[in-house]
Amino acid sequence: MKDFAPPAEALRPPTVSEARLLSVLDTAADGIIVIDEHARILIFNKACETMFGLSAAEAVGQNVKLVMPTQYARDHDAYVGSYISTGVKKIIGIGREVQGLHADGTVFPLELSVGEAATPDGRQFIGILRDLRPRKESEQRLADLQSELVHLARVSAIDEMGAAIAHELNQPLTALMLYLQAIRRAHSRGVDIVTVLGDILDKAAGEAERAGHIIQRMRQFVEKRDPERHVRPLDPLIDEAIDLTLLGQRHRIRIDRQPGVDLPPVSVDPVQIQQIVVNLVRNAIEAAAGVADPAIRIRTRASESSVVLEVQDNGPGIAPEALPKLFEAFASSKRRGMGLGLAISRTIAQNHGGDLLVDPGGNGSGACFSLVLPAAAMPDEVG
Amino acid sequence: MRVHVVEDDAGVSDSLALILRNIGHSVVSHRDAESLFKGPLPEAGDAVIVDLSLPGISGAHLVRWLLNLAAPPRVVVITGQSQGFIDHQLRGLVPDGVMRKPLDVDAIAGVLPAP
Ligand SMILES: Nc1ncnc2c1ncn2[C@@H]1O[C@H](COP(=O)(O)OP(=O)(O)OP(=O)(O)O)[C@@H](O)[C@H]1O
Ligand SMILES: [Mg+2]
Repeated sequence: MKDFAPPAEALRPPTVSEARLLSVLDTAADGIIVIDEHARILIFNKACETMFGLSAAEAVGQNVKLVMPTQYARDHDAYVGSYISTGVKKIIGIGREVQGLHADGTVFPLELSVGEAATPDGRQFIGILRDLRPRKESEQRLADLQSELVHLARVSAIDEMGAAIAHELNQPLTALMLYLQAIRRAHSRGVDIVTVLGDILDKAAGEAERAGHIIQRMRQFVEKRDPERHVRPLDPLIDEAIDLTLLGQRHRIRIDRQPGVDLPPVSVDPVQIQQIVVNLVRNAIEAAAGVADPAIRIRTRASESSVVLEVQDNGPGIAPEALPKLFEAFASSKRRGMGLGLAISRTIAQNHGGDLLVDPGGNGSGACFSLVLPAAAMPDEVG
Repeated sequence: MRVHVVEDDAGVSDSLALILRNIGHSVVSHRDAESLFKGPLPEAGDAVIVDLSLPGISGAHLVRWLLNLAAPPRVVVITGQSQGFIDHQLRGLVPDGVMRKPLDVDAIAGVLPAP
């Protein structure tokens, strides 16, 4: 049996009496299962009984597949067999997330770490199991909360933009009304407008479409949806978001837009990314509003394996004392600000595996915010 | 006599010109204040319809300039903005009419000189 020398991390054979061992195992908070080389269950502790809804008496002597959903069960014999013949570890010494099967049929996530022991009766594998459900649930709750918050902030941004939107809708409505009145007028006076009628009606329809388009874009932005991931070029998303932000801006502001060259695509939730852009551009407009010639530079560029969006304004920059709390919720210097824009934007950026960074400027230069997003894998790698 | 329309929104400008011509006016359209300054200036008998939110030189500036001419034309302001914004922009200025969008052609015709 020389060639079966135990691996370095092998556990020493138990030196305590078996009864003593079992009582120790039974007080453990984690589930503990010991199996032999044939995957037969030798020990099944109290925590396992609760976790899987099986008594030790029912489990001991059975193949450990008993507590695995079918797809794992199918592979398990092969794993054990391949490890014993090749020594290649798929799981031993490495903790990982697997699925367990409760006696009532529920499949649930488990964290499993496996150790190995050489005993006088042959090799045994010791599995320590932790039910991941409580953690999963709190993660889910957190995700729900977060998406709720993101939605709320979006609605509040819309609310503030409401007046501006009304103005924007007024334009196509005005044009539509005037086209129709022109036709009505000509008609009631018996003026012959037959030659131009089709043309006017087309224009009127175009204006109605324009109004519809504005509403549609607002709706897309406000409606609550589950987060998604799409592989997209970043620039068109940004341009659309800029248009959205500028809808009905009262004061004209100079926007210097510098799209990137040969940018790789990004894998994003388009609406959430647009929300970041809206927040950053609104902040920039608000920051620059006080200077003589307000201007914003919006640039996209590739940087290593990321795509970076920079929003630079020529406002006063960010005061050093405001910097530490800048990205925290409810940190606002504005009378009507919620202070949510940057907090939410950074959360979204980080959920995308990216980040939101700031160069505070000051001393005559404005702030510059950088949204960094990882470049999406090239299509040929995806499949 | 002519009606000058200074409005940057293409749809509003085109439809306004259409209906004014329909009424019998001769119309000159401008996209901004700058292009109005480039052409023949409005005369005393003319009317100028000014959108308050213009790119470049603001609508309020244009209104002030027009009203300060030795022989000012009739000046009508059109806007889709809130009353607060209008009051703020027009501080001290009294144009011949202020029309809020969406526009009603009969209201406009009412403040313009007869064609
Ligand atoms: N471009 C900028 N220049 C200067 N200060 C900025 C800039 N962007 C943000 N700030 C500062 O950071 C604060 C927080 O911004 P954030 O977008 O989180 O909230 P807000 O704009 O105050 O309110 P909200 O976005 O919720 O309406 C702002 O109040 C402002 O003081
Ligand atoms: Mg903000």
